[in-house]
Amino acid sequence: MDDEAIVELRDIRKSFDANVALDGVSLSLLRAEIHGLLGGNGAGKTTLMNILYGLYRKDSGEILIRGQKVNIQSPRDAIQHKIGMVHQHFLQIGSYTVLENIVLGTEVAHRFTMNLEEEARKVQNLCERFGLQVDVKATLDTLPIGTRQKVEILKALYRGVEVLILDEPTTNLTPQEVDTLFESLREMVKEGMSIVFITHKLREVMGICDRITILREGRKITSMLRSDASEELFVRAMVGEDMNIEKSVFFARETYATASVDRTFTPILELKNLQLVSKEGVPLLKDINVAVYPGEILGVAGVAGNGQHELAECAAGVVRPTGGRIWMDGEDVTGASIADLAAKGLAYIPEDRLHDGFLPRANVAQNLILGYHRLQPYSDGRFIDWKTVFQKSREFIQEYNIKTGGPQDPGGNLSGGNIQRVMIARAFSMPCKLLVAHNPTRGLDIASMDFVYRKLLERKNRRNATLLISEDLDELMLMSDRIAVIYRGQILDVLERSRFDKYTIGRLMSGIREVA
Amino acid sequence: MMPVRRIIPYLIAIAASFAAAGIFIAAMGFDVGRAYATILFTSFRTPNGFVQTLLKFIPLTLQALAFTVPLSAGKFNIGGEGQMIVGAIGAAAVGILFPELPIYLLVPLVILAGVLAGALWGLIPAWLLYRFNINEILTTVLLNFVSFALIDIAATGPWRDPAAGHPTTIPISASGYLPMLIREPPLHSGLILAVLVVAAVYIFTSRTVSGYELVATGANPGAAAVFGINVRRMFVLSLVMAGAIAGLSGAIEVAGVQHRLIVGLQSNFLVLGLIIGLIAKGNNLAVPFVAFFIAVLEVGASAMQRTLMIPVEMVFIVEALVLLFVLLSDVVRRR
Repeated sequence: MDDEAIVELRDIRKSFDANVALDGVSLSLLRAEIHGLLGGNGAGKTTLMNILYGLYRKDSGEILIRGQKVNIQSPRDAIQHKIGMVHQHFLQIGSYTVLENIVLGTEVAHRFTMNLEEEARKVQNLCERFGLQVDVKATLDTLPIGTRQKVEILKALYRGVEVLILDEPTTNLTPQEVDTLFESLREMVKEGMSIVFITHKLREVMGICDRITILREGRKITSMLRSDASEELFVRAMVGEDMNIEKSVFFARETYATASVDRTFTPILELKNLQLVSKEGVPLLKDINVAVYPGEILGVAGVAGNGQHELAECAAGVVRPTGGRIWMDGEDVTGASIADLAAKGLAYIPEDRLHDGFLPRANVAQNLILGYHRLQPYSDGRFIDWKTVFQKSREFIQEYNIKTGGPQDPGGNLSGGNIQRVMIARAFSMPCKLLVAHNPTRGLDIASMDFVYRKLLERKNRRNATLLISEDLDELMLMSDRIAVIYRGQILDVLERSRFDKYTIGRLMSGIREVA
Repeated sequence: MMPVRRIIPYLIAIAASFAAAGIFIAAMGFDVGRAYATILFTSFRTPNGFVQTLLKFIPLTLQALAFTVPLSAGKFNIGGEGQMIVGAIGAAAVGILFPELPIYLLVPLVILAGVLAGALWGLIPAWLLYRFNINEILTTVLLNFVSFALIDIAATGPWRDPAAGHPTTIPISASGYLPMLIREPPLHSGLILAVLVVAAVYIFTSRTVSGYELVATGANPGAAAVFGINVRRMFVLSLVMAGAIAGLSGAIEVAGVQHRLIVGLQSNFLVLGLIIGLIAKGNNLAVPFVAFFIAVLEVGASAMQRTLMIPVEMVFIVEALVLLFVLLSDVVRRR
């Protein structure tokens, strides 16, 4: 790392309608450094980098690259300035090979014959230099998420970028894959590249970054060398003064030593030999046997797309399994209607909140009672008691800190984080024996995540059961009593708390079974 | 405060569309002031004008509701006129077949026959949607054409009135006529039925559990299904309700206005119903108010043509512009 700034952002402002996303943020990126951009959800990290990459226009402010003032209008401009970005969601063509995906949109030597040998050599060379092991001839569809991410990084490297922006790159990686990614990043920096590493995970920036900038609510709080700062300082900078860190679950020093679960009771949820085969005949869930006992939080870990969505939908009664039985509190509920399950005390927080969980064209109050609209106290079964609904809704808005004009405000006006809060409020609004929660804290800021964790712990004390499916391994290790690891629709192992180790779980997540 | 602020863009849209249409009227060499005075005040100058307006208001409101009720569930019913025609056929059939029944039996039966026939005509696209997932826009539009053939058959078949110069059936029994609210100018009691339907639809969609499920289905069928609402049943329910409402308007037309089945009784109510429903932005409660406004324009337009010789189509331009400006005001507000 030397002191020459390769990119300088000065006083960048950006607002979406009335929402100020960035309020005068400055940042300088030095040559050959890994710069951590840290902050909770809604802090403006991705927005800032999208402006640098030309996806958004800034309202005001300046961008300097190598000391020159530049005007970046599109990603094409950014790439010309040797800036590349890897987003959380990749834009790739599944039926093309790795190589074809990488060269797509660039000049190739033999454009009519598509003889890509030269390009293949170049890509191969990049793979070796930076330790990114990818088979360039493989079709993209067949590759796991971690490899697809490498393809995305290679795409940027192939275009000769000197600045690489990575947006939450570790989200879908196993701990092992995270380690290899970090090694590759180190190699790039050695060759003089600069890397911006966007994340909300403190431990990651502590592990890899040279310098760290912290954003909160669209403002830069501080920029400092990692070696100059303690973890305490970062935590305080990230969450602000309002949050009580002492009581927080999220920043708890020791793991929450919760009361041990008595597994002699009847489980609240029991999946027996659960099978799900898609219409096309593809097995999605294979012979799943898990039980969640009173007062237990059972975590489900796995790389996204290994059957978590299907497992959640089966457990929540949305999809009827093609084989096996589902028992709830000593009763066979296989194929029971969702309405019946809700009446029996099931709550569900779906993963895809926009598609599966929210009514954008209905108001907040209507959203808050969805699924419970047939039950007391909202309704007598025929008519809805809107007076009670509105009164309850106002309480939920207060308690769950939902930022909205009121219960009659259209749902479409809410931001992603607030929609998530509506879903959380709805799930916790009724006393429920069983909660199926899929990525419940996605899109929430740290204070709200902490609130959800406290709510989950309260459930334990009331001896309710929770099936917590999450992509966030830290979250699972913090909250769960046991963790089941799912791989290609199969539960490979269920680990007790004493065996929680992120590398053990990581191995299982990539399908490697422990040889005991 | 809230309702006032919501009405303002409508008023601006209406003013803007009148101003824009005024340019056309002036360009055609007519007196804009007199034309608009005729359009706006004919309905309120004479008792007859007001009754004419109410008589237009009834089918317009019902047609618009036949569009907006399924719209609440996210479905598009473009078959309101077909359902109206089939409802009218059902009503006329009962009125002709049972002439000896007393008035207190025959009137309800005629109305009921219209409602059921319309509901049945709504059930066909609903079932095709439920069973085979066939797009309801397509089926409802196409069933309109089937209904045109049906009314031709009914009006030229055994019930044909040979004395009429136009395909028409013989009159229904006089004991099947809707009772009159006012004798001169004649206003039939279909108005009460229309108002009752408006109230019922409002209470259903805003107060009942089924109504909530209907609205939730329209808001996001995916999420509604995940939270235990049978969305396909909601689609069926909404289309059958729409058919019943449109069928009622057909029955009222037969029992209240024509007293027989006449080919062409559907007029252009379907298109006006769609316009009303869209101006009301699918809000069931706003529908009667918009429908009344459009009825005023329609009655004023015929008067304008009679007295000032301005073509009645001028009013279509105004109506279309109101819709355009209302839609535009949405876009402007979003900026």
